[in-house]
Amino acid sequence: MASIGNNSLNAKLVLLGDMGAGKSSLVLRFVKGQFLEFQESTIGAAFFSQTLAVNDATVKFEIWDTAGQERYHSLAPMYYRGAAAAIIVYDISSTESFERAKKWVQELQKQGNPNMVTALAGNKADLEDKRKVSTEEAQTYAQENGLFFMETSAKTATNVNEIFYEIARSMLFLGVLVSFTSTPATGLWCNGQSIWKCNRISHKSSKEELRTE
Amino acid sequence: MFGPQTHSEPSNGGFLSQKTNWRRITSSNPTTSATTITTITKKANNLSVKFQDLYGFSVEGNIDDVNVLNEVRERVRQQGKEWWALEASKGANWYLQPQHSSSGEGLTVPSKLTAIANTITSTMTLKKLIRKGIPPVLRPKVWLSVSGATKKRSTVPLSYYNDLLVAIEGKVTPATMQIDHDLPRTFPCHPWLDTPEGKAALRRVLVVYSFRDSDVGYCQGLNYIAALLLLVMKTEEDAFWMLAVLLENVLVNDCYTDNLSGCHVEQRVFRDLLAKKCPRISAHLEAMEFDVSLVATEWFLCLFSKSLPSETTLRVWDILFNEGAKVLFHVALAIFKMKEEELLRTHQIGDVIHILQSTTHHLFDPDELLTVAFDKIGSMTANTITKQRKKQEPAVMAELDQRLRRLNSVKMDEK
Ligand SMILES: Nc1nc2c(ncn2[C@@H]2O[C@H](COP(=O)(O)OP(=O)(O)OP(=O)(O)O)[C@@H](O)[C@H]2O)c(=O)[nH]1
Ligand SMILES: [Mg+2]
Repeated sequence: MASIGNNSLNAKLVLLGDMGAGKSSLVLRFVKGQFLEFQESTIGAAFFSQTLAVNDATVKFEIWDTAGQERYHSLAPMYYRGAAAAIIVYDISSTESFERAKKWVQELQKQGNPNMVTALAGNKADLEDKRKVSTEEAQTYAQENGLFFMETSAKTATNVNEIFYEIARSMLFLGVLVSFTSTPATGLWCNGQSIWKCNRISHKSSKEELRTE
Repeated sequence: MFGPQTHSEPSNGGFLSQKTNWRRITSSNPTTSATTITTITKKANNLSVKFQDLYGFSVEGNIDDVNVLNEVRERVRQQGKEWWALEASKGANWYLQPQHSSSGEGLTVPSKLTAIANTITSTMTLKKLIRKGIPPVLRPKVWLSVSGATKKRSTVPLSYYNDLLVAIEGKVTPATMQIDHDLPRTFPCHPWLDTPEGKAALRRVLVVYSFRDSDVGYCQGLNYIAALLLLVMKTEEDAFWMLAVLLENVLVNDCYTDNLSGCHVEQRVFRDLLAKKCPRISAHLEAMEFDVSLVATEWFLCLFSKSLPSETTLRVWDILFNEGAKVLFHVALAIFKMKEEELLRTHQIGDVIHILQSTTHHLFDPDELLTVAFDKIGSMTANTITKQRKKQEPAVMAELDQRLRRLNSVKMDEK
């Protein structure tokens, strides 16, 4: 378990949001650095993994990119169950997608893991001339609901890596909290084990390293 | 279905190099087993090539894949010969809907029995033959017949499809808006689907169906199924009837409606079958807290069209239309079974998914899959599956109901 001292963390992350908001495009940009003008619609969900290094720690994201159509809603719990982080995506050129995002926020607040790090992404920020949702409105909403907020563009890559990076940072920070309170099963894993389990072994080192961040 | 799409991409804008305190780690799929490593080395040695398969999808693979695909092409030709030989001896169209009840009418008892016996032999011959594959040119005719689509169509006026086409003209509904949104996102690299005619045909099939059954309307997933049906059936109207018979008669009810309850039922049935037919894998994955529905949902909703190569998908569909939805379970179980040893060595969800994905993407040889699906998985009668579904239905309804109530309580809190 040598790598625990290096703060290697596995974290399940789920993307939720309206059909066509750009969930798959954000993931594709983050994982492969690509953008497709016509991204295949997602059915059920697609899985990706990507590792980020944050200072001395690494976070391995296990990403579930879900399907956006309303009726797929009934499948979502399977994907957000046990998730350590969520990105709720809307399209800045669609008010409906913003409304839909709010519903996801409520659902996660109610049913998601209480320590979940949740980010709100206003995607397609490159479509400024078609904007329907103002930055201020979304920012205010995010603040009220304790969400981390960024406007992103999968097309131009603006803020895509940043949003994942910020989530990783918050999660590492939360990891410290979790190790103090030892709340079980929050969906944070250390090399395949729940962090609260492995922290019994490496409690000190991980805590110290995280603090120096 | 068809390998990674390659497009020219705008560059990353030098973003990564500007940040100094973090970096992207590219090797995200740790190789945990010897088998995976061999495939990777092999790939590195072999040049990756891009080619078109039988149905025009561009596929990326190594030389081995190309060889397998050529072998499959040759086998398809041989299979064709068998079908022609039977046409020659039994008469053209011998396989078209055997007339069970009416054929014996007015005959004496012994000749009635002979007639029935003949029908049974024909059905058995046909079943065997279809399991070995329908030649692509015969697919439209055979599918329409064995699935019951022809019969379904015969119950409405000949002008039914065209009448609907006229009726939908210029109509905008939530379904049509979602269909329009998905048209360019349906197998975007396929040469025909990418043309205006291809998109228009796909649009008409989906929109007409959304008017035929407003409970289904449009469900994502149907776009891929309808697209592949169009490529096989060649005419829109035939594709439409195949879609209708599929949703209304072949698949479990409510697979695509409202809350996809039918799909939830199938997933539960599948989980139980996996525990029964592949107990070791099932136990191992359960210990990892890996729910097989995470991957199997897409298989069932797209009928494998998004994960298996096209000819392999269509071989599954050959059996689907002739024998019913149980083949979906056979095939899904087979995919797990084929990789049993590798799967048992996994410790991470990512590795499980990686194994399953690379397996399905490279299944260019349909017989390799179908042999496991039928010989190794063993028989399951349609009856058993129906019983299993009946057993699961109340649980699904209760679960969905409870979810709805919880969600409503979320809304109440808002006030
Ligand atoms: N201009 C612009 N277009 C985008 C951006 N992100 C995604 N798109 C386009 O929007 C469409 C939908 O994107 P997807 O990533 O497939 O959306 P999704 O949320 O995954 O959709 P579902 O899988 O149907 O739920 C695609 O055609 C993308 O090319 C963006 O940042 N800017
Ligand atoms: Mg998507």
